[in-house]
Order: sequence, then C-alpha cells, then structure tokens
Amino acid sequence: MSTFIQQIINGISIGSVYALMAVGYSLVYSIMNFSNFAHGGVIMLGAYMGFFALAVFALPFPIALIVSAFGAAAIAIALERVAYSPLRKRNAPFLYFIISAMGASIFLENLVIATIGPNFKTYPKIISQEPILIGDIALGRLDIMMFLISTISLAMLLFFIEKTRTGMAIRATAYNLRASSLMGVNTDSIIFIVFGLGGALAGVAGVLFGMKYTVYPQIGFITTKAFIAAVFGGLGSLTGAVVGAILLGIIETLTAGYISSQLRDLIAFALLIFILVVRPMGIMGKMNEDKA
Amino acid sequence: MKKLTSILLIGVLVLMALTGCSASGDGGSGESDVIKIGWIGSLTGDQAVWGTCEFNTVKMMVEEANANGGWLGKQIEVIGYDTKGDSLEAVNAVKRLVGQDKVVGIIGPNASGQAIAISQVLEEAKVVDIATVATNPKVTVDEDGNTKPYNFRVCFIDPYQGAVAAGYAFEELGFTKAAILYDVADEYSQGLTEFFEKTFVELGGEIVAKEAFKFGDVDFRPQLSKVKEAQPEVVFMPYFFKEVALSTSQARELGIDATFMGGDGWTSEQLLEMAGDAVEGSYVVNHLDFDDPDVQDFKNAYTEKYDAAVELNGYLAYDAFKLLEEAVKQAGVADSVKIKEAMETAEVQGITGKIVVNAKTHNPDGKEAAMLKIENNSYKFQMKYSVGQ
Repeated sequence: MSTFIQQIINGISIGSVYALMAVGYSLVYSIMNFSNFAHGGVIMLGAYMGFFALAVFALPFPIALIVSAFGAAAIAIALERVAYSPLRKRNAPFLYFIISAMGASIFLENLVIATIGPNFKTYPKIISQEPILIGDIALGRLDIMMFLISTISLAMLLFFIEKTRTGMAIRATAYNLRASSLMGVNTDSIIFIVFGLGGALAGVAGVLFGMKYTVYPQIGFITTKAFIAAVFGGLGSLTGAVVGAILLGIIETLTAGYISSQLRDLIAFALLIFILVVRPMGIMGKMNEDKA
Repeated sequence: MKKLTSILLIGVLVLMALTGCSASGDGGSGESDVIKIGWIGSLTGDQAVWGTCEFNTVKMMVEEANANGGWLGKQIEVIGYDTKGDSLEAVNAVKRLVGQDKVVGIIGPNASGQAIAISQVLEEAKVVDIATVATNPKVTVDEDGNTKPYNFRVCFIDPYQGAVAAGYAFEELGFTKAAILYDVADEYSQGLTEFFEKTFVELGGEIVAKEAFKFGDVDFRPQLSKVKEAQPEVVFMPYFFKEVALSTSQARELGIDATFMGGDGWTSEQLLEMAGDAVEGSYVVNHLDFDDPDVQDFKNAYTEKYDAAVELNGYLAYDAFKLLEEAVKQAGVADSVKIKEAMETAEVQGITGKIVVNAKTHNPDGKEAAMLKIENNSYKFQMKYSVGQ
C-alpha cells in the first residue's frame, strides 16, 4: 500500500512539471490555432537563465525565479515577433507556423550548444535533498516546493484569464480572433500578452526542471510529453492541460510500477491513443475547430 | 486527421534535413606526403564530454607525433566528424572519411551502437576502425560468431565488465541481494545487465528486482520505488553518467540506502559534480587506475593544453592512436589493407595496459579491470580484478 501511495506521489510530482509546460502549448494554441513547438526551446533558455542567476550571479532563489520568468517571457515575445508575426501579417497557412516553430526550436538548441556548450550544468543545491519520511513514504522537499510553485503559477494564470478584463479579451480572442478584432479588441497586443504569459510559465518550468534534473541543451525533448499531455487534456483548454499532464504522470508511473517498466511508454501511450480515439477533443477540449 | 498526418510528415522531413549535416573537420587537400587518419564520436549531445576529450587527445597525439617526424617520414593529419551519438550519423561520417577524405584508419567511436553500425562501410572501403570504449561483443564479432575484418578495439568487453561487477559485488563485498536498473533502449546497458545477472546468479546471489527505463528519461522514481520495495543490498546501474547522476540522487531521495555499482559509463568527472553525495561509496568497474604513475604524464600534458580534466575516453583514445601508429609502422606503407594485416599481430604498450590484439576476436587479450570506489568525491583505486581466468 505504501508503495502505491509513493507511486501516486511520484506521478503527481512528474505530472506537475508536465503541467507547467503543457499550459504554454495550450495558451498559444487557444489563440493562434497552432502548436508552438519552439516552446521547448524557451523552457530550455529559462532553465539556463535560472542556472546563471543562481550559480554565477548568486542571486537568491525567488529573484532567480522571477528573472527567469521575465527573461523567458521576453524571449517568447521576441520569438513571436521574429518567427510568427511576419507569417501572421501575410495570412500564411498554419502549417508554415509549425515549420517556423520547429526551425526556431532547433535554432535555439544549437545556439546554446555553440555558445554555452553541450555539457550538463548542475544547479546549486538550494534545498536539502533529505526527504521527509512519513512512515515508509518519502516526500522530496524539492518535489513539494515544485508542486507548490507550479500550483501557485497556474492559479495566478487562471485568475488572470478568468477574472480580469485582459483575461476576458484573451478568452474572446480564443473564441474567435476575427470577431474580437472587429469588436475592438487589439488582437496584436493580446497575442503579445499570451506569448509573454506562456514564456513566463516556461521560465518557471525551466528553473524547476533544471533544479530537479540538471540543465542541458536537449531539455526541449521532454516537452514532447508535455505537448502530448496538452492534446490529451484538450488543446486550448488550460484546466484540460493541467488535468491531462497530471494524469499522464500518474499513468506513466503506475504502468512502470505495476505492469512493466520495460513497456511503460508502449502501454501508457497506447492508452492515450485509445482515449483520443474515443474522445478526439481530449478530456476537456471543445469540439468546435480542427485540431492541429 | 489527414492534415495532421501530412503536417507530421513534413515536420519529420524538415527535422531530418535540419539535423542532417554538420561537420567539424579540418578538410583535406589530398597531398600524398600526408597520412590522413579519421576520428568519429560525439561532439554534441549527451556524450559530448567524452567525444570532445577523445578528439582533443587524438589531435594532441597527432601534433606530438608530427613534432617527432610523423609516421614513415610523413606528416599526419586527423579529420574528425561529429556523430551526435547517433548510429546513422556515424555511418555517414565513416562514408565521408573513406570516400571523400581517404583516411587510412579511423579511431572511435566510443559507443557500441555506433561502432556496430559502421562495420559494413568499413568492409566495403577496406579501412580499419579502432573503437575506444565500445565494449559490446558485437563490435568486433557478428551475430554468427564471425570476426568482422576491419573492426578492432582497445578496451575489454561487456560480458567481462558485467561479470567483474557481479564477481566483485558477491565475492569481495559480500552482497547476495542485487537489483538492476538498466536502459532498455541501449545495447551497452543490456549487455552489462545480462552478464551481471548471469554471473551473480551463478555465484549464488539473487536478483531481487530488475527494472528498465528508456534513453531520454529524466525521472526514475517509479522504477526506484519498486527497487526500494525489493530491499537489495546493491543496485547495479549499467548506464551513462547523466542518467546515473539523476537516478542515484532520486534513489537517495526515496530513502534507498543500498550500495550503488556501475560500469565504465560512470567514470566521468562530471558525474562527481552532478551527483555529489548520492554516489559517495559507490563502486565502479573501470579500464584503468587514474592515479597510476604511468598515466600522469599524459594526464598533466592534456590538462595543461586544454585546461580540462581527462575523461576515461582520453586514455583509450590514446591507446587506439598508439595501436594505429604501431600498425602503420609495421605495415611500412600507408595502405589501409596492409595496416589491417599488421593490426592483427600488433602489440603495443598502451596507457591502460599492454595491448595484445587477438587475431581471432580483434579484442585486446588479458586486460584486467580496475575497481574504483567513490570516496570524498573522487575515484579511489581499490584493486585490479578479473574473473574466470
């Protein structure tokens, strides 16, 4: 029994990192209707910024987290201006956006390899590795901290989207970009804000990921799973992305723990495909547009 | 749905095109008074630390040899290509080396998967390759037990390494209950696992848990929670240092206090930096004792030149270069087929021990393993250890 609880805790902890990343995909998708594959690159840069802030400039952790969040937001916005905005102005098919995103992602990875180098960087230990033991169950201090930071960031985002005027404009734009712009919403600045929000979350996710798993140029790789979680939860739905991510984390751990660790990905993803076949819009998605 | 498929297809094509080619060679002019040798390995990706060290070592050796008059009175030039840790890239790199650059011999790669993949190209071009730390048996011998004519190596092989780890754990450390965590997508890891399990069980020990992960994973807690439940005395972790650092830290966080043990995939200065306390007290099967007086000259020269610590791969790249040098000198001519013939009878004093090539298996005969223990955040030599001899 204690192993089962331990596995659920493991799953939630893995899932909460996926969630922070998945929300970034969903945010951009809900407005622009394309999957921003460069998101992984922004997460990676956020992780590096956090590393330099902590290890080189010796900033306190909360400041480092904020620096990364703002830095990553700036990068995400710059990326939008350089890689997507010109396409948007020319009404390019959304396929071009995806290719531009993939290009940007590979560019960022190689930029880091060329400038910072391909080696791993280890975050300074800012919190004790000693777990909190409740009976036989180990709770990592870092995991608890990560879970709290993820939850707070996501709650702040949801509050912003649901309760503020700008949030309402974002929701309106997500519903129909053209109609909102006819109604006087400045969609250009909405897109600006959405990329900034997605980027800030990517920065936080990057720092948390880096603290837990070290920093290296291929971090973006892990976002594949976050993307799958976003689709699984229902692309475009923020709560869906969070639910999908946590579920993916738990499904993965339980498969590895109780069926077979050799076949973990095979079984976990077969299950995901099955769910999508039964419910193509994802768990919480709305079925009013073509999925990309 | 159709749209999605076509997008994905295009995406894959774009990715392939973008990651396709990037060489880091010195180019070649094709003058006949230069002997060209090739090097392949990872300059980017997970194993870039090792590949970079290998290439640096080979470049340093070439400079040194050139300063001493080169080989057969000719200057040597080394051309290196990045394999990015990918077998397909390795094949392309070898094709370029033999087709375009016309090298007489190739050093590297360090990883078994890539070394196995390049055999056919080597045979077509009749050019020898000396793998550095590729320990899988199939690097030099094919599935049917036939020796691959152009593949050689300077390190011992996985069965030996796995058996040494099991023997040492059971006989010297007195452990009887072992767990294994391994990379299901990696031949190296599977090879070590197979022979560790076999030897440990034969000696009378018990494998209480055997869990797998896949290359690219960063979280091992689901598997480790199962390992914890099985209460092993020793956990064998035959994979590379990045995963080792992550999995050992996570194991300690889950409250696993068993001793950890690993193969030569562990031996990196980076591991000590990344894993810190988590690997303290662990045992590692290695190719040499880093504190051996015989290796200090090379170690110091390298550190002075590149301002970095020598990784394990540097030592084996050194030996691979020495072996190739010996074969070229014995052959008396820079002809790749003659070099191959000379290679089969070559004997050279390497830095990791005497390299005596076995003509039947193309493996070095009688190399002992060095057991290291991680103490106070550094590798401490314990003893030379061998099994079944």
